[in-house]
Amino acid sequence: MATGLSYREKSLYASLAAELVVYGAYFFFHQENTVNKVAGLIAGIIVLQVILQLLISAFTRNRVTDERDQLIQLRGYRAGYLTFTILMVLGLSMLWFHSTVGNMPLDDKRMGLHFLSVFFGMLVIADITKTATQIVSYRRAL
Amino acid sequence: MPAIRNKVRELRAMKEITQQELADRIGVTRQTVIAIEQDKYSPSLETAFKVAGVLGVSIEQCFQYDPKGKR
Repeated sequence: MATGLSYREKSLYASLAAELVVYGAYFFFHQENTVNKVAGLIAGIIVLQVILQLLISAFTRNRVTDERDQLIQLRGYRAGYLTFTILMVLGLSMLWFHSTVGNMPLDDKRMGLHFLSVFFGMLVIADITKTATQIVSYRRAL
Repeated sequence: MPAIRNKVRELRAMKEITQQELADRIGVTRQTVIAIEQDKYSPSLETAFKVAGVLGVSIEQCFQYDPKGKR
């Protein structure tokens, strides 16, 4: 049976598209990144999200959200939080390992930016996990 | 088998109410009504009472609990 897409589902697909486009561009051009580009990226994703959400709102008549939407939202946030926590523990463990056992050049000029990219990457993966979990929950008709 | 099953689809058909009408009257989306009818989502007690009220039956006639069912 074709169930169509609710307002929340459309918003989630738009969010996922915006995340993949903007974050994808960021990591594709990773070597040329600067702190200013990271700030620009954050501004970019906010602007893109606002535009997409406005378009969806304009073209969706029924914008009702209900208890199931809230449940799915919570499920998504839980998945995102767990992902972020696991990645954070792994990242910090690797940092500890490389700084004690390995020979990581911590005084390298670009090291700060690499750290920023790694932690930003964790945030991005967690965010995409959150959105994807919500989409899967809708498709599985939770 | 799910732990909570329902007869929403049958009762709705008897009352000749569409999924969208039922959704509008209980304040949820049509997708939620579809999920309830397919036994893929167990609504809150408040929504269950609203569904039963709109369909003109008691909550026990509309929703059944199977303790051996999958939660």
